[in-house]
Amino acid sequence: MAAVRHSPAYKFVFYAFMLVSVVITLFPFVWMLSTSFKSPGEIFTKTPTILPQLWTLDGYRNLFAAVNMWLHFFNSVIYAVSITVLSVLFNAMAAYAFAKLKFPGREKLFALLLVTMMVPGQVTMLPVFLILKSMGLLNSYAGLVLPGTAAVFAIFMIRQFMTEIPEEILEAARIDGFSEFAIFWRIMLPLCRPIIATLTVFSFIGAWNDFLWPLIIMLREDKYTLPVALAGLNGQYNTDWGLLMAGAVVVVLPAVIIFLMAQKHYIKGIAAGAVKG
Amino acid sequence: MILKNKVFYAALGILLCQGSVTVFAGEQLNVWAIGAEGKLIRQAAEIFEARNPGVKVVTQGIPWTGAHEKLVTAVVGNMAPDISQMGTTWMPEFRAMNAIEPLDGFMGSSALDTADFFPGARDSNYYQDKWYGLPWYVDTRVMYYRTDLAAKAGYKKLPADWESFYKFSKALKASKNGGYAFSLPTNDWQIFLMFYWQNGGELLKDSPLTAGKFEGTIGYLKRFFDEDLAPLEGGNDTDQLTAIESGNYPVFISGPWMISQLQTNKPLLNGRWATAPLPAGEKRASFMGGCNLVLFRSSPNKALAWKFMEFLAGPEMQARWYTLSGDLPASRKAWLAPALAKNPQLASFRVELDTAKAPPQVAEWENIAGNINDAVEEAVFGRVTPQAAREKLSARIEKILAKSERQQSVAFKIGLALFLFLLPVCAVLLHLRKGPRAAPGGKFQPIALLFLLPAVLILAVFLFIPIIASFIASMTNWNMYGVNDWSKVVFVGLENYSGLLRDPVFLAGLRNTLVFAFIGVPVSVTLSLAMALALNAQVLRAKAFFRVAYFIPVITTMVAVAMIWRWLYNPEFGLFNLALSYVGLPGQNWLSNQWLALPSLILMAVWKGFGYNTIIFVAALQSIPDSLYESIALDGASTRQEFWYITLPMLRNTAFFVIVMTTIGYLQFFAEPYIMTGGGPLNSTMSVVLYMYQQGFKFYNLGYASAMAYILFGLIFAFTAVQFRVQKKMEGNF
Repeated sequence: MAAVRHSPAYKFVFYAFMLVSVVITLFPFVWMLSTSFKSPGEIFTKTPTILPQLWTLDGYRNLFAAVNMWLHFFNSVIYAVSITVLSVLFNAMAAYAFAKLKFPGREKLFALLLVTMMVPGQVTMLPVFLILKSMGLLNSYAGLVLPGTAAVFAIFMIRQFMTEIPEEILEAARIDGFSEFAIFWRIMLPLCRPIIATLTVFSFIGAWNDFLWPLIIMLREDKYTLPVALAGLNGQYNTDWGLLMAGAVVVVLPAVIIFLMAQKHYIKGIAAGAVKG
Repeated sequence: MILKNKVFYAALGILLCQGSVTVFAGEQLNVWAIGAEGKLIRQAAEIFEARNPGVKVVTQGIPWTGAHEKLVTAVVGNMAPDISQMGTTWMPEFRAMNAIEPLDGFMGSSALDTADFFPGARDSNYYQDKWYGLPWYVDTRVMYYRTDLAAKAGYKKLPADWESFYKFSKALKASKNGGYAFSLPTNDWQIFLMFYWQNGGELLKDSPLTAGKFEGTIGYLKRFFDEDLAPLEGGNDTDQLTAIESGNYPVFISGPWMISQLQTNKPLLNGRWATAPLPAGEKRASFMGGCNLVLFRSSPNKALAWKFMEFLAGPEMQARWYTLSGDLPASRKAWLAPALAKNPQLASFRVELDTAKAPPQVAEWENIAGNINDAVEEAVFGRVTPQAAREKLSARIEKILAKSERQQSVAFKIGLALFLFLLPVCAVLLHLRKGPRAAPGGKFQPIALLFLLPAVLILAVFLFIPIIASFIASMTNWNMYGVNDWSKVVFVGLENYSGLLRDPVFLAGLRNTLVFAFIGVPVSVTLSLAMALALNAQVLRAKAFFRVAYFIPVITTMVAVAMIWRWLYNPEFGLFNLALSYVGLPGQNWLSNQWLALPSLILMAVWKGFGYNTIIFVAALQSIPDSLYESIALDGASTRQEFWYITLPMLRNTAFFVIVMTTIGYLQFFAEPYIMTGGGPLNSTMSVVLYMYQQGFKFYNLGYASAMAYILFGLIFAFTAVQFRVQKKMEGNF
């Protein structure tokens, strides 16, 4: 973008707007963080304060005493990482075929995939469960992970991005003797870095926060993922909010870190110099 | 680096531990327990193991959220444990699924005295002269009230009958400035049933409801609302702890768990509150809650399992269980233990337990209960007369309980299912074949199939087949009786679809879903785009910080988000009402006002979701080459022109994707009403997917729920088709 000089007044208004919006989006997060350090008497009051008046680590202490955090953390990492890696690879491959390769029925197959996205996911849960049962994959990591490794949403998203990449780049590579796999791996994926980073975040967070599926598929408590294990701390009627918020903080932090790492890949101008017809 | 190593070794340690589980030679029992009991049961198991050498009890905890789904899928998947804890209202359903074993065969030779259980606790286990479970613990509802405020109104304790309780409420309200006397939810069937039973009403006995008694109960309760003794709107989302502290609602109904909640969360209030039995009408009646223990039919070790159940349900262990967990014993003898008998707060519970009642033992109970909520709400809001509400509810209940006698031969069912399966498959194949046989551009690159293979294979198995299966299910009466037994499933043609079009709750859900999408999608997408442009602006420093900040609502778990928004919307001390009071406007019941509830949820959904699309836009903005901006800048274009001539056209593909996806997402609106309002008040926030979820996973009307999914599918399909057409047209203009 050409360098534009902005007046100080413009900058002031702009930053004021940004700060207000950040306060609005961050407020609940800050609230969650501060509640996790509050004592029970302070959590429900008419006049709650942003910062705890009396800082306590009880929430975290109770949390680590109540569940084997490392074990469930480890389970969650395995689950989220394997889903993320496989799904990004499979979906990007399919998206490449839809965006840049030629085969009969391409548009039709793609339209069909889009149509399946419109069926609410809740109705397919029980059939998927029964299919896994007939495959003997209940209570296994394969059964837990496999159904999540392909997603129409992701294929659609990458395809939209890939169609923007000029054909000329691919033609040049083909003339240089690149195989289709080499083009996909060494040219397309690097060009799609921002969207791949975005998708990585979405897949990871989706799997990381997933609750019902891991609960239903995994039979043994030592296989529970973090959200499932933490949900177990909730009473039917009683809720220990300090503990619950401590749990929420522990669940959210890795997701924030993944996002911080991924957003570095939003680099300007990778596709720069692209010829647009 | 050190931290990394630690994590690595911790992970390694876990792996090694899992690898070295020793094989156990003796007998083993698998036991599931829910919520806090899931952890505590370990201690009971250890006592049992010590008394029975060679026996190993493997306990597993299940969270309350999702426990019902987990148990049903375990039965369907043949993965059920030997014994499980089970909510009292779930019993008939699992009996209908033929999943639990009657216990009478074991009882003959047992020392367990079943007459020792409270009658209400017995009722949920005893059906048609057979025992299907044992009571494990009970709970019941009593009144909690502020003793100091009652004294100010001239009462030493809570009055014991309906009429004097009403007078007390009037005196209480008059004695303090502002607020109400009593917090009375309008969407809680348990509360209504207690009053109905006290009034002498009967459920599903001869007729669904007792004429006159229903109307009388509504009349009694409505007086509290009409005379402002209880808030008509605010009662559902009151935070009882804060409400009793502020004295705004000094009296409310709750269960035994509230004792410890008040003690830990409101220590300053100690000594100024007490419990009392519910005021009696014609008779005394509270609600019997709690949990039972059941033995699954699939258990390979029933004799040993019974021994453990007998141990848990016996008076000795029940008294001990109270000291471990605080759960109230179902055994009357256990109540003689000093820890229970001498506790003054528990005295009112003991009084109520003798007469507390469990809801009727029908598998369709959850569905009926939902309809009771709707009927009571409509009547107290004055939408219909109490008599009309009763007649409508009775008709609904009769319809729910009507059993289909239809029988179909296995061959017919398999044939029809195959036909229905092949129908969409053929349609898909035709769709793929039709049109140009050659690939676009002429060349066919076979390598494309290799790229497609993994994703398409997985989608075929885990998406296409399940979709066709649920499509077939939408034409059957698949319900809880058929979950575990295919012979009970019959084809009903389009009956589910025609039923839905006459179902007022579904139609309300459809209307709300459309409103939600029509308002939510434009607001959310515009906001996302604006925020993405701001994030991309040159002047902005610390971009990473702002990106994270906008994305935080997306990552934050729904539990935390719900807690905070509930507080923001709280009618008594929430931030929104505080803001209104600064500008001199009256506070609103954001979540329980029938006109405000849906907009409140839209606001929350937009807040939670806009960061998602913002990030997609940010990623897309990166791909716009600088050269384009440079060339237009050379021509002297303004920032605005840059936006209209470069940025927006270049974002076309992404914007289209975002709009299509957001529309699909908003038409499948679910999480917010599910967690915040449950669809109320008066179904004003009921959405199609929420209703589908309730019908499918709460009431197990899987055929009906599937039909709903396909009506919604048709709607989404129409929307998306229009969007694609518009995009095609617009492409022509560029």
